[in-house]
Amino acid sequence: MSVTKLAYYPGCAGATHAIDQDISTKAVFEQLGIELIEMEGWNCCGAAEAEDPNMVYALNARNLVIAEKEGLNVATPCSICFYNLARTDKALKEDENLRKRMRDIDSSLDYKGTISAKHTLDILVNEVGLDEVGKKIKKKVAVKVAPYYGCYLERPSEIGFDNPEMPDSMDKIVELAGGMPISFRQMRIRCCGGPLMMTRGDLAFELSKRVLEAAKKEGADCIITACPLCHMMLDAKQPDIEEFFNITIGMPVLYFSQLLGLALGVEPKKLALNKNIVSTKEIEEKVI
Amino acid sequence: MSVNAWELDPEFKYEVASTPGGENIMRCFQCSTCTASCPIADIDPNYNPRKTIRMTLLGMKNKVLSSDEIWMCAICQMCTERCPQDVRISDVMGAIRQVAEKEAKKGNIEVKSVRPAFESAFMHQIEKYGRSYEIGLTMEYYRKVHKGFVSAMMAMQKDYTKLGIRLFKKGKMPVTSMLPEKIKRTDEVKKIFKSIGD
Repeated sequence: MSVTKLAYYPGCAGATHAIDQDISTKAVFEQLGIELIEMEGWNCCGAAEAEDPNMVYALNARNLVIAEKEGLNVATPCSICFYNLARTDKALKEDENLRKRMRDIDSSLDYKGTISAKHTLDILVNEVGLDEVGKKIKKKVAVKVAPYYGCYLERPSEIGFDNPEMPDSMDKIVELAGGMPISFRQMRIRCCGGPLMMTRGDLAFELSKRVLEAAKKEGADCIITACPLCHMMLDAKQPDIEEFFNITIGMPVLYFSQLLGLALGVEPKKLALNKNIVSTKEIEEKVI
Repeated sequence: MSVNAWELDPEFKYEVASTPGGENIMRCFQCSTCTASCPIADIDPNYNPRKTIRMTLLGMKNKVLSSDEIWMCAICQMCTERCPQDVRISDVMGAIRQVAEKEAKKGNIEVKSVRPAFESAFMHQIEKYGRSYEIGLTMEYYRKVHKGFVSAMMAMQKDYTKLGIRLFKKGKMPVTSMLPEKIKRTDEVKKIFKSIGD
């Protein structure tokens, strides 16, 4: 089945610190001829801060209904939004009582379960397919890449779309782009600490430092990620981490959509690479 | 750690099990796969999700609810994924935190962690605007934690000046983000909060 049109859920970070992910995601889908239509009036998914699962279900039932009314499947580039949208979709499809409880709160939560909610990485690798994406590749990004999956793309496995212990969808994107994925065996699924950033910064810094140092030790030219919170920790906060531990890292961190965009022949600026905190110049120079 | 039988609350485990997310707590058979998989336990050996679950099952209510540990979980789902008993530890921890917030509101326990303040400030933005509003969130959170406007501003300046300038320079804090991005149908979102609360 070919994908031509999707309901786009950018997530709250897409307008601020993940604006580079938003821009590069749109550029990649444009290259592939897939229309992303931003959902009108979407609300926050509750992120990692909504402790009550019922709150997550209600917030995201409303989001799913918006897309369902258009008859479109939801695509989001954020791992946390994906987790919340997808677990709501699953819970509501499986539980008639829960659907009724949502409906009783407000008619705007009356989800029928006729669509799906997926991460953009899942859509590209498993729906559009590597063959189709491969046809549009124009350049080779000859770099060594640490594919960093973090948490929600693959865990918990009944929601995630990748192998929970050894996810590889981003590895496939790297290979398609002409790069070389490093092993990054243990670290690829290790948490960056993002949800603790504001309340236990010390733990968050330690977790992110380990990811950055492992990538450096394994000789990566850059890290790629699919999550705005991982990107915030590893890229925007990298200078803070360097200062905190008195170390030097200097590791570029790209969204996977930025790396894929380069291979699709999109100019770096149109992928918002100029907005990355750690310079991506050396990566851009290796695009041939 | 000594356990005093007369201080135990046998109802506690049922309270957690009836809180959304906590349903499977009684499946735990203490294998410790959670702790062995936990990235936080890897950093801080005092952090031990297996032990928190055991203490909960024993009924050590006050000790569990006033512990720092329940606020240290990064919700990374590693424990949930690897648990052979499908306890869903990440969600159980969330249920315990919900009980802790409830008890703290009643004045029964004291929560030292700043995390409930952050979480409620975050949820307030959604309730008001339908979306997260980073500046509003940070202001509300710092005012709560630092008690007062002036000390909050000073703490914010100390913590965020460098990051803020960095993001601003790269266009990641656009002028449009200075004000909240309010959705049209906040009435629908308010209904959710009225019905479920947080």
